[in-house]
Amino acid sequence: MGIIQCKDVCKSFGEKVALDHVTLDFPEGKIFGLLGPNGAGKTTLIRIINRITIPNEGTVLFEGRPITQRDVERIGYLPEERGLYRKMKVGEQAMYLAQLKGMSSKAAAEELKKWFVKFGIQSWWPKKVEELSKGMAQKVQFITTVVHKPSLLILDEPFSGFDPVNAQLIREEILNLKAQGSTIVLSTHNMESVEELCDDIALINKSKLVITGGVNEIRHKYGNNNVELVYTGSTAVSPVPGTFRVLSDMDDSGRHTAVLALEPETDNSAALRAVLDQSLSINSFKELVPRMNDIFIKLVTEEE
Amino acid sequence: MNMHIINVIIGREYMTRVKKKSFLLTTFLAPIFLAAMMILPSVIMFMAEDKGKKVAVIDDSGIVMPYMEDTEAVDYMDYAGYQADSVKAAFNEFGLDALVLVSPLDSVAKSVTVSAYSSKPMSVDMKDAIRGNVNKAVEEYRLSSYDIDGLKQIMEDVQADIPVSTYTLEDDGEARISSSEVYMFVSLIFSIIIYMFIAMFSGMVMQSVIEEKSSRVVEVLVSSVKATELMFGKIIGVACVALTQFFLWVVLTGILVVGAGTVIGFDSIAESATVQTEQMNQMTEGLGVDPSVMEQGGMAAPQMEMPAGDSEMAAVIQTLRDIDYPMLLISFVIYFVLGYLLYASLFAAIGSAVENEADTQQLQLPVTIPLLLAFFIAFYAFKAPDSQVVFWGSMIPFTSPIVMLARIPFGVPVWELVVSIVLLLLTFAGIAYLSAKIYKIGILMFGKKTTFKDLYKWLKQK
Repeated sequence: MGIIQCKDVCKSFGEKVALDHVTLDFPEGKIFGLLGPNGAGKTTLIRIINRITIPNEGTVLFEGRPITQRDVERIGYLPEERGLYRKMKVGEQAMYLAQLKGMSSKAAAEELKKWFVKFGIQSWWPKKVEELSKGMAQKVQFITTVVHKPSLLILDEPFSGFDPVNAQLIREEILNLKAQGSTIVLSTHNMESVEELCDDIALINKSKLVITGGVNEIRHKYGNNNVELVYTGSTAVSPVPGTFRVLSDMDDSGRHTAVLALEPETDNSAALRAVLDQSLSINSFKELVPRMNDIFIKLVTEEE
Repeated sequence: MNMHIINVIIGREYMTRVKKKSFLLTTFLAPIFLAAMMILPSVIMFMAEDKGKKVAVIDDSGIVMPYMEDTEAVDYMDYAGYQADSVKAAFNEFGLDALVLVSPLDSVAKSVTVSAYSSKPMSVDMKDAIRGNVNKAVEEYRLSSYDIDGLKQIMEDVQADIPVSTYTLEDDGEARISSSEVYMFVSLIFSIIIYMFIAMFSGMVMQSVIEEKSSRVVEVLVSSVKATELMFGKIIGVACVALTQFFLWVVLTGILVVGAGTVIGFDSIAESATVQTEQMNQMTEGLGVDPSVMEQGGMAAPQMEMPAGDSEMAAVIQTLRDIDYPMLLISFVIYFVLGYLLYASLFAAIGSAVENEADTQQLQLPVTIPLLLAFFIAFYAFKAPDSQVVFWGSMIPFTSPIVMLARIPFGVPVWELVVSIVLLLLTFAGIAYLSAKIYKIGILMFGKKTTFKDLYKWLKQK
């Protein structure tokens, strides 16, 4: 059972429908990728989970029971549009946001100190936010999102605005939090990080849920049954009618890389046997799984 | 409602403002300014007073000199026998401040002519004193010339100088002496202060809402607390700042005035209050108050060139003492808090609908108009506290906080106070509900410029 379950959630703003009967399950202790083109309704869904927006229809369950205002203390939210009080001091601001999440000032001070030390930014504590660079402010905001040890962490484009070093730091922290049992919802357009980090995904397009499931499951499901064959030899691999076609064959001074399209009834073993019959010197035989990027584009453009 | 979280919000709103330099500056400088306004006139009067002026008198009539009585301010010296021109020439050597020449007695007109010379322009007080003395001498001479026994006694008996004291009738029928100008002054001061406070602090709420929206910190905030909690936490936090400032102003001004009072004497402060009342009169005339209105009100417009008579002064002091200050201060706090809550909710809603302060102009208009209207009615209130406009102005919730406060120094029946406060409370509850609806939606709306039509749509949205 998921930490958050959305059942038939609908939300419209006047005439405009933002979410249309979305039913989704966010499995506990996993990293969940929330994908979709701009304006699909992701932010609305995130705001509904955060109780910023109340749905017109449907229910949201937190750990199996209807979500209440108290539950938001166990959620951490990093919005896509970052923002802190510019005139406020970093430390005071972090303390304030932590206390709004229900922490006592003592606990907030202790936890924040730990994070500031961990990120090596203790010296920023008495500085005003307006004195920080954008990346520095983002680091502070990331800390304020996770300081209260949320069971559910919602990160909207967490890597944008970070240099590669800091992006890696954040990536490690996300995996750390997962290891400690937090559930993480990652909303991003960066498909590489989805493949790298996410266990499950959901794709929303035009306010409807298009697909949800495990990342590997989906990638295999949308695979078009191609394999990559690397071999050496003077003769090229030839197609076997009824088993596979050869889509391409690149010869790099005797080392060939070919892509074979298997016929629908053929499985990998049958194809491999057919290749072996051609007495080639095989280096590798690998199933080609589509990139998330391709699946995203395929699903979104198919709709149109 | 989560009280712990609301307290955290109130705490931040309060502390960030109270720690600001601008707050500290206005809080501590304003009482100094106020106290100076109350004390300075008496100090100036004290300094400007004539002291031990030497006035030479060459009395060719022979009747005037005996009546030139020395006072603290002026010493009259008989220079009979001196030539006027030689005295004028040696003015400084004699150490004289003025020379008064009295002509020989004109036995037909039974009069004298008097000329006074001084190195510096003569003060009005000194001129009045000299004229008074000469008049007295001539009057006495004329009386005695009739050669009627006991005429002097008769004239003294006949002479009349009847002061008109104005009284205000209390509900219990007791009369108290009053000076209407003082009420006007107090009324004006308090309506200006409450107007400033409401406009300034509800404007502060709007600014703060805009700041949170434009810096986008608001999305994080509302993911932790309800939008309504955030809005009311902010409104209450700023109200605490206002009350702190008001409280400190009252206490600090009190300390300064009492402190100065023990140094230079309370009477002079009371005197300076009289002077200020007169200045107020000049102001009201300048504002175009018809003096006949004041005369209808049972008071004569005082003549500016004449020093306030003793009885008038007594009435002013009495009135100042009679004003129910605790009542005035409590009313101020009640009406400020309620009026502020009403306007701050409206301004919070406006702030939520815009992304920067430049966009507030259009949306702000329907809110600033009643506020300004209230201020103008309050100005009318101290001229005509019992008029219909003022009565209704003090009942209608959008103007009542300011107009009622302008009325209070003149005395307001309890039932009117109760009705206006209840109306104000109910209106606040309604407006707060509607404002919160707009605020909740507005703070997350970006991009398109908000119109009144949008606000109406948001109100209808569930």
